[in-house]
Amino acid sequence: MTTDIVVAERCSKWYGHVLGVSDVSWRLTGGIVGLLGPNGAGKSTLMKMMGGLLEPSRGALAVYDGSPFRDLAVRRRIGYAPEHEQTWDELTALELVTAMARLAGVPRGTAGRAAKDALAQMGMASAMHRRVRGFSKGMRQRTKLATALVHDPDLLLLDEPLTGVDPAARADIVDRIKQLGAAGKTVIVSSHVLYEIEALTTDILVIYRGQVLAEGNVYEIRQLIDRRPHRIRVECDQPRALASTLAREAHVARLGFERGSVLIETTDPDRCYDQLAEAVLDTGIAVTALSSLDNNLGAVFEYLTGEGGRR
Amino acid sequence: MTAQTPSTLASVVTLASVTLKRVTRGKALWVGAAIALLPILYGNAVHLTRHTATPGEIFVLLRPLLALLPAMFISASIGEDIEDRTSAYLWSRPIARWAIIAGKLVALVPVITVLIVGSWLSAVAGGTGALPSLASSAALIAACIATSLVAAAIAVLVPKHGMALTIGYLLLDNFFGALPLSLAQLSLTHQAHELAQLGDPAVIKPAIALAAIAAAWTAIGLARIRRLEV
Repeated sequence: MTTDIVVAERCSKWYGHVLGVSDVSWRLTGGIVGLLGPNGAGKSTLMKMMGGLLEPSRGALAVYDGSPFRDLAVRRRIGYAPEHEQTWDELTALELVTAMARLAGVPRGTAGRAAKDALAQMGMASAMHRRVRGFSKGMRQRTKLATALVHDPDLLLLDEPLTGVDPAARADIVDRIKQLGAAGKTVIVSSHVLYEIEALTTDILVIYRGQVLAEGNVYEIRQLIDRRPHRIRVECDQPRALASTLAREAHVARLGFERGSVLIETTDPDRCYDQLAEAVLDTGIAVTALSSLDNNLGAVFEYLTGEGGRR
Repeated sequence: MTAQTPSTLASVVTLASVTLKRVTRGKALWVGAAIALLPILYGNAVHLTRHTATPGEIFVLLRPLLALLPAMFISASIGEDIEDRTSAYLWSRPIARWAIIAGKLVALVPVITVLIVGSWLSAVAGGTGALPSLASSAALIAACIATSLVAAAIAVLVPKHGMALTIGYLLLDNFFGALPLSLAQLSLTHQAHELAQLGDPAVIKPAIALAAIAAAWTAIGLARIRRLEV
């Protein structure tokens, strides 16, 4: 039998006249879930509602069958790491995480030990006695994550945890989140970068303009995206000659020209890239730049919106 | 999972401890101490030049401290936490929001009280050559608590400008408290002055008035903090 950990039913949130999330219905039973959406999509609002910082304006949102906004016993089971980096800079990392452990209900006798363990897990053992004021962005992110997991919560809400961290730290944090998932914790990670989410999980919830646009396996989402033409811009010295080599291909939906470049819309990007390489080798056309216009999430969301949205 | 929902007392103590660490490591404590030195300097200067100063004169100088110090310590601390969104760390924990404010008050009211009452004792002793009455010191302690509660409520209501608005409100309170009008009855500093037996020797009425004004502001602050969003 599966138990719902998060249940949102027609949940909406407004900030005055500004819409945060609109009519979101969603159930989460466990595992690692990626909350994907561009900036301002409503990810943080949804995270804050799950973390008990905000109350829905309309509809209902339950975590472990209770209201995270009103029920302290529910919040005890949640570890929340906010998106912003501000924290109490006058404290050392150890003092900060120990205080957060105490405030989450870890007994006084074990709070210090738990804080040291959490900081060590996040690779902050050598810096735990330093004040947060002098920390880099990456160190702040790690410390913030330590505050979220210090009390061993069942549900972790990590709002943009990979923002601003260097590649090595990113790999560490990704590994740690995966370990938490493997240990049976439920982890919700938000990001506006698709590959960050793909590195963590295959289960995603796509949110855009406050609404759930798609939900499910990341590969299903990709298939949905791939049904739409993919745009490639090739900057070269002979755009028309290059276009003529591809004009009769069935996968090419449209060809266009911009200053010094050809814009190709294709339904089979892999095949298109192969043929472009062959054409360049055969004709000697000098290509100066090649870019995919659809490797940004904005385009992905536009595609999904164009599809009619919700799945 | 080893964590249990923490008791309110444990949460308040933890928050007070954190707040005290932050204030002792910041600049506000030194600025507050410098401001609290001003009445002491005045008392001693008067004593050196005129050989006498009355407690009433020194109390007039002390009244602005009741506006400045609660604003500097309490309004700034609460306002910054809400504006910088560090309150998100606290509000996502299994603790009541009023306990967060209580933790700050438990840490900061003694600091404010020590600075103001210490300034009062030293200024009167320096200015008159004798210690002030016990009633006057007790009245100042009550005034410190009352103005701190008002400062907390204003910071919750208007976090971004909490410090400035608290100073403005309490300076106005000082101004109206000094006027010979019935409006003065709504002034915290007027009631503290009365309670200190520096004017009318009645004690019960100003004590009740001081408590009632502080309680009204506290109720407003508590109602707001429950619904506040970051």
